[in-house]
Amino acid sequence: MSALLETRDLSRRFGGVDAVAGVSISVDEGTVLGIIGPNGAGKSTLINLITGHLKPSAGRVIIQGRDVTGRKPWAIAKEHVARTFQIVRPFRNLTVRENVAIGAMYGPEHARSARAAVDQADEALERVGLLDRAELTPGDLSVADARRLELAKALAMQPRLLLLDEVMAGLRPGEIQPALDLIGSLRDAGVAILVIEHVMKAIMAISDQILVMHEGQELTRGKPDDVVKDERVIEAYLGERYAKRARADVRQGDARG
Amino acid sequence: MSTTAGRRRSHAAIARGPAALFADRSRVWWLAAAGIALGLVVLALAPTYLLLESEQRTLASVFMFVVLAQGWNLIGGFAGYPSFGNVVFFGLGGYTTAILMAKAGAGFWITLPAAAVVGLGFAALMGIPILRLKGHYFAVATLGVAEGTREVVINVGGLTGGNKGITVPAVGEKATTSYPGNTGFYFYFLVLALIAVVVVWAISRSRFGYALRAISQDEDAAAAAGINTTRAKITAFAVSGVLTALAGAIFAFQQVTIYPTQLFAVDITVLMVIMAVLGGAGTVVGPVIGAVTLQYLSEWLRDNFPDYHTFVFGGIIVLAVLLVPMGIVNFTREAWKRRRLAFFEAVRQYRL
Repeated sequence: MSALLETRDLSRRFGGVDAVAGVSISVDEGTVLGIIGPNGAGKSTLINLITGHLKPSAGRVIIQGRDVTGRKPWAIAKEHVARTFQIVRPFRNLTVRENVAIGAMYGPEHARSARAAVDQADEALERVGLLDRAELTPGDLSVADARRLELAKALAMQPRLLLLDEVMAGLRPGEIQPALDLIGSLRDAGVAILVIEHVMKAIMAISDQILVMHEGQELTRGKPDDVVKDERVIEAYLGERYAKRARADVRQGDARG
Repeated sequence: MSTTAGRRRSHAAIARGPAALFADRSRVWWLAAAGIALGLVVLALAPTYLLLESEQRTLASVFMFVVLAQGWNLIGGFAGYPSFGNVVFFGLGGYTTAILMAKAGAGFWITLPAAAVVGLGFAALMGIPILRLKGHYFAVATLGVAEGTREVVINVGGLTGGNKGITVPAVGEKATTSYPGNTGFYFYFLVLALIAVVVVWAISRSRFGYALRAISQDEDAAAAAGINTTRAKITAFAVSGVLTALAGAIFAFQQVTIYPTQLFAVDITVLMVIMAVLGGAGTVVGPVIGAVTLQYLSEWLRDNFPDYHTFVFGGIIVLAVLLVPMGIVNFTREAWKRRRLAFFEAVRQYRL
């Protein structure tokens, strides 16, 4: 296994605030790194630094062994990096299918023509279960479907590194498992995945490793089971009541497994 | 794989809707192709058999505005960057032709590529800094550049003739290219309008067209999808600049004497914006419809209400913007989809 994504002391200041301060992570092929932390911990900023939507104040971003620090977002996308946005950002003037086709057109695996890309888009739509809504415009989609579209747009780029910023927010409990299955199948296919999520059960289930961020810095990291037991994490983020429930879930899971 | 393809086909059939009335889709294309061919033949023969000289002159100006509206459509409609200074390309194209013909004794045809290069170069040069601005800021910056350029043109009087204007040698001994008259300019502008429509049509179906539409909605998301947004925007602006400069070049020759206030008039920008937007910005036929209806309307009002035609014209535009702010093409499309004419939708929706 080799590290697909590596950041070294990645930092970003906004005025006098350290939004991200010295975060070093590494995500291997076929693994999932989950990032949790309270609002404002710097999770989304970290993704924006990796994808080039924000320029780091300090530190390096290394993708597949290549230093891509400071490159433009489209150049980083060409390194097989795809992302979703925390607030869904569909192209509202295009159909669902065309939205996804954009990724196939301009992603690292260039489609030859607009039409070929539209065909490729269907494969991604099928994976997220949106194929029957391909001709709608994004404005006609439900919240859950809009999240699926966001994911399909990323998938159409055939990523090796996938950065998911709260793709499960707003999903109903019954819709979360299919999303987890999809992420799992991508991981099994060798994609390196970074997941930001507030749905604790989901992120605990899917992540190989969890990084807890607090005020722009790494609070701790480790296996999901260990992280939920960490006193500092409980204090900073989860709250005592949640921690009890999570521990109970873990025990149940152990008993079943 | 085969199931995917099968399902895709059935979805496409459902989505096709009205067009599915024609069992064979290629028949629609044949009908469209035949219609276009017929239209072209009519346009080609019209000056000889149908039109008076004055009518040819009117139509030439209609065609010119088709070019201007289409040029604006690329940057303002597809890319979503509302340029309020596109007239700068028109003026620079016109002055390139006029100066080369008057000062360098160049023939008209040689000046066309020169005007195109000037339009392209200026668009790229001004695009690199100001395409970083968005929305109102971009609009104001383009307006400023156009106004400023006019002042520069006025002040380099040695080259441009300043406020007194510049006259191209169109008749007599000094004429470098013989003046083609109303019929000639009818065809010059017709050909350029056809080129503009074909260019925009080709772009609208290409990867580049999708990139522009994505940019108009969300640049960060477009960049995340791998689109080099800077390059796409500058390219759109440059193509817009070339088309507009070529229209200006022909216009300068047609007018013989041109003035800075005429060639860099804000009115021209305003007209191309209104034509593109009222017809349907970001569509291929919208700007054509907008340019044809508004330019005809304007001419008709001038003939029938000579004293207050601008007043009536302005009133009609205000009314049209209130009733169909999304443009005629999008309005019709929506009405067809919902089987309902929703004239007061916008008035209700935006509490106008």
